[in-house]
Amino acid sequence: MYEYEGEDVFVIDSHLHLWDATEENIVHEGGEQFIQCFYDYHTAFTPEEKQWSLEEYRKYGADRMKADLFGNAAVDMGIFQPTYLTDFYDDGFNTTEDNAELAEEHPERFVLNGTFDPRDGEEGLEYLEELNDEYDLQGVKLYTAEWRGDSKGWRLDSEESFRFLEKCAELGIRNIHPHKGPTIRPLNRDAFDVADVDDAATSFPELNFVVEHVGLPRLDDFCWIAAQEPNVYGGLAVAAPMAVHRPRKFGEIMGELLFWLGEDRLLFGSDYALWNPDWLVDVVMNAELTEEQRDEYGVELDLETKKKIMGENAAELYDIDIEAKKEQFESDDVTEEFGLADHYAGSSTAPADD
Amino acid sequence: MAAESRDGDVTEASVRERLDRVTDPELDTSIVELEYIDEIRIDHAEGQDPSASRAVHVAMTLPTAWCSPAFAWMMTTDARDEVEALPGVTRATIELQEHMHEREINRGVNERLSFGEAFPDADGSVEPVRAELDEKARISRQHDATGALLDAGLDGDQIVALTRSDLDLDADADHARVWVRDGSLAVTVDADPLERYLEKARTTGLVDDDHPELFRTPEGDPVDPDAFETVRHRTRLAGVNMSGQGSVCDALHESRRAEDRPPLSMRSD
Repeated sequence: MYEYEGEDVFVIDSHLHLWDATEENIVHEGGEQFIQCFYDYHTAFTPEEKQWSLEEYRKYGADRMKADLFGNAAVDMGIFQPTYLTDFYDDGFNTTEDNAELAEEHPERFVLNGTFDPRDGEEGLEYLEELNDEYDLQGVKLYTAEWRGDSKGWRLDSEESFRFLEKCAELGIRNIHPHKGPTIRPLNRDAFDVADVDDAATSFPELNFVVEHVGLPRLDDFCWIAAQEPNVYGGLAVAAPMAVHRPRKFGEIMGELLFWLGEDRLLFGSDYALWNPDWLVDVVMNAELTEEQRDEYGVELDLETKKKIMGENAAELYDIDIEAKKEQFESDDVTEEFGLADHYAGSSTAPADD
Repeated sequence: MAAESRDGDVTEASVRERLDRVTDPELDTSIVELEYIDEIRIDHAEGQDPSASRAVHVAMTLPTAWCSPAFAWMMTTDARDEVEALPGVTRATIELQEHMHEREINRGVNERLSFGEAFPDADGSVEPVRAELDEKARISRQHDATGALLDAGLDGDQIVALTRSDLDLDADADHARVWVRDGSLAVTVDADPLERYLEKARTTGLVDDDHPELFRTPEGDPVDPDAFETVRHRTRLAGVNMSGQGSVCDALHESRRAEDRPPLSMRSD
C-alpha cells in the first residue's frame, strides 16, 4: 500500500493492459504505428531513468507486469481494460483473454473488463455474453475509433450500440469505459469527439460512463457533458503523467475536472504499460495545485481528494470493500511473493513500526 | 540594403513573417512560435535577377508522426498559401517530414489536390473540422477578451451588452476604447485580446450574423446576464483544453527532438 506522510492510500489502478505488439503479432502497418505512437507518449511523459526500450515495450509479460504493479507496493488492485485492434494484430493487441492470464491467477487483485463492438452484430452480442459467463464482467472498455475493415470507427449513441448497452444493463455490466483520447489515424473523422457519450449517458442512467483520458483533447466538451450527466466519470489515464514534466498544466486540468465533476467522479489510471505506476503513483500523490489555481477554481487537491481519486471512487463503482481487501491482502499470494505483509499489517491492528 | 527592400524582395524573414500567420488549429498558436519550421529555402537560380520572382521551399515537422492528417493538411496548405501570397513568390513547395502520411500530404499539397483526392479513404472534407477548431479558438479568445474588460472595470452586464460599434480599436496602437453606459463613458482596454477575439469572431461568422452582441455562449448565442459567470467558466475551460493539448504536443515534440532519439524510419521495420 502506498504511504503518504504516514497515512495509507489504497490504490486501484483503473487502467491496465497486458499487450503484445511483437513483430510476429503485427499484421497491418497500423499495428507498428500504434505501438510506436504509444512509445512516443511513453518517452514524452516518463522520467528519463524510468524509460523502457522499444523492445521491452512491445511485450513485457505477466511476471514483469506483476512486479511493476506490486513490487514497490504502489498499487493494491488493478482494472484491466482490453484493446482488441484485431485488424492490426493477429491475436489482438490486449484482449480480455490476454488479460485473464494474470487476472485469473490473482482474482482478488484484479478486475477484468470485457468489451464489445456493435459492428459485430449478433455475433458480438454472443461474444459479450460468453465473456460475461466466463468472467462475470462488471465493466467493458470500448474503443470507438477502432478500425474494422472499411469502417474507421463507430458511435456510442448509434442504434446498434444501444442494443449492446441494453445487453450490458441486462447482464449487470454497469461500468462502460469509452476511450476518448489520443489515437492514431483519425483522418478527418474526429475520433476524440465525446458528444456521443452525452446521449448514451442520458439514455442509460443505470450505467456509469467512465470517459477514459477525460476526452483529451476535448476536455472542454467532456467537462460540460459530465457537469450535466451525473453518471459520467473521468478516467485520468494520459492526464496523470502530465504531473511529471508539466505540473502546472496538470494542476490546471485537475482544477477544471474538480470544478466541473467534483472529487467523487475521477479515477486514477496509469494506462500501464504506457506509463508505470511504480513511479506515477508517487508523482500524482505529490502533485499540488498552486495557490493561484486553488483561488481560481475554489477546489482542493488535498489528501482526502487524492484518496478518492486513487482508489475510493473506483471501489465505489466496482463494489470493492477496501477495508476487507486490506485484511485479505495481509496474506494473499501477491503479498507473499513481494513481501508486502507489513504494508497491510496495520489494517486490523496497530500500525507496524517501520 | 533597406532601400532596396521592396515588394519583390523575398527574404527568409519575410517568408517567416507570412508563416507566422499560420496556426496549429488545435492549439491556436503560430507554427513559427511552436518551432515546427525546419528550413526555409529561397531558390536563387544562377544568373537570375535577385529581384525576380522565385520559388520558396519550406520544410516542417509536427510534434508527432501521428498528428491528425486533417490538422497536418490544414497547416501545410495554409503555409503554402501564405507564402505564395508574398509578392515575388511564384511557387511555394512544402515538405512535411517524419509524418505517417507525409507522402500523401506532400503530394496533395504540392500537386494542389483536395483533401479528398489526397486521402481517398477519408470520409468527408476537412472543412467541418476546421470550422469546429475555429469555434474553439474563438471561445478561448473570448475568455482573454472578457478578462481584459473585467480588469478594466466593466461588469458582466456591461460586457454581455457590448456590440461591435461600442469598440474603438483605433485609439492607439496598444489600446482600445470601449464605450459603456449608452456611449457616455469610454474605458481604455488593452487592444490585443480584443483584436484577437474579433479576428476569430469574424472567421466564425459572429460579427455579421443576426445578433449585434459581440460576445456569445459557446453555442454562438447572446449571453444572458445571469449566465455570464457560467460562460466565463466555459471559456476558461476551452483555453485550458487548448493549452493542455499544447503541453502534450510540446512534450511529444521535445522527446522526439531528443539527441539520442532514433529517427522514425530507423525504428520501424
